[in-house]
Amino acid sequence: MAVSLKMPFVDAVVDDSLKQTYVNGEKIGYEFQIRLSNYRGHYLSCIEELSFTVDGNKIDATNFTFTLNDKEFTVSQLPNLISEFWRVTDAATIKVYTPGGVEPGEHHISLTLMLRIPYMPIPGNAEGLNYALLDACGSKTLTVKE
Amino acid sequence: MSDIKLGVSLFSFSTDYVKGILSLEDCIRSAAEMGAEGFELVGTTMLRSYPYATDKVLGEIKSMTDAYGVDFVSYGANTDRGLRSDRDLTEEEMLQSTIIDLKTANKLGCKMMRAQYLLSPSAIGKLAPYAEAYGVKVGVEIHNPEYPTSPKMQEYLEVIEKSGSEYIGFVPDFGCFATRPNKIYWDQALENGAPLELLELAAKLRYDGVPRQEAAKRLKDAGANGPVMGAFNGMYGFVQFSHEPDFEGLKKIMPHVIYFHGKFHYIDENLEEASIPYGDILPIIQESNFNGYIMSEYEASDDALGMTKRHLQMQRNILGN
Repeated sequence: MAVSLKMPFVDAVVDDSLKQTYVNGEKIGYEFQIRLSNYRGHYLSCIEELSFTVDGNKIDATNFTFTLNDKEFTVSQLPNLISEFWRVTDAATIKVYTPGGVEPGEHHISLTLMLRIPYMPIPGNAEGLNYALLDACGSKTLTVKE
Repeated sequence: MSDIKLGVSLFSFSTDYVKGILSLEDCIRSAAEMGAEGFELVGTTMLRSYPYATDKVLGEIKSMTDAYGVDFVSYGANTDRGLRSDRDLTEEEMLQSTIIDLKTANKLGCKMMRAQYLLSPSAIGKLAPYAEAYGVKVGVEIHNPEYPTSPKMQEYLEVIEKSGSEYIGFVPDFGCFATRPNKIYWDQALENGAPLELLELAAKLRYDGVPRQEAAKRLKDAGANGPVMGAFNGMYGFVQFSHEPDFEGLKKIMPHVIYFHGKFHYIDENLEEASIPYGDILPIIQESNFNGYIMSEYEASDDALGMTKRHLQMQRNILGN
């Protein structure tokens, strides 16, 4: 049985963080920030699932990246990042590629963020990769900054 | 003759720190203002350059400890065995990471470090010469549901005794001596709709030592809902309790205690912890030859500053100073 914990200290989706992204003067997409709601930070390799929907539409992993510690990572790199630490007070930036950007106004972002708690094997399942999960999911409606 | 110093683990203020209500400086200043002689800091929560101590971070922390007159005495290291997504870390890999933690602790000026039980007894044995070389004493945390003479901790004791080193030992967490259900989880369960009589049944099953599966079945048969089962999982998980805490075990391992985690979840206005019998624990330490720190460690969120202040005062009252 999967065991998951939730530490709802901060909002997963950061207030006022949604904005259009411009390249060569044209809207190429948008970005917003997310926090790891927990009492401690984690290495990025502990992320078991990172995905999100915007206004109910799922964004393909090819079309977004995860930026932290001044580095922009693809989603498929995350499982291998055993020395890249996500501090509990730092926001990561999700950058979404969608030419033309996002429609002006409000958008609902729903984030799925599940992490393996690497020091908490599930009692009774001590062997192998069987750890409790941190449910760091969250959602919020943000108004895009042009 | 014991010489007990009272310190504060800044872990106590984690929730306010994560929320941005308290900065690291606020945490250190508050610990000093409450009268802590020293503090502990958990690297994965509050060390900006984790897992390293950069010169910049070291300088910042040093300016705070100098200004507020409090010592940075212990570094809380983590043992993240499940770091990799494809397999568990090996014992060697965990040992190597812990040696990095020792270097960080040493650079921060800490003489003590907490390790977690996923670092095996044999790895702790291999760590001893490194701990001596860096001048940092490493203690394995004895955290509920473990207790001093639990089989796992006895394996560590064997390695520690065989090593003959004073640089490896234990950090007992007082939560392992709990005699009553965790008040925070209990109150939460009630608030979320757990019937009181079923919570009381869960506690009775725990006190009676009924095996987990059988106890779960009896609770479900009695109509337990989700909140009851949530509290039940804690009672059989990390917040166990019993009528007979392992005080004899504590006396047995006392020569190998590096420092203590003074765990607490709720201190009432009469300065009593809701589930951990401080009035029984502290005299045992006082009557030993223990010379070192009890680090107040609050493991809840509400009013962390007020609760920690109460915890220190409660301990001073019991210790008679």
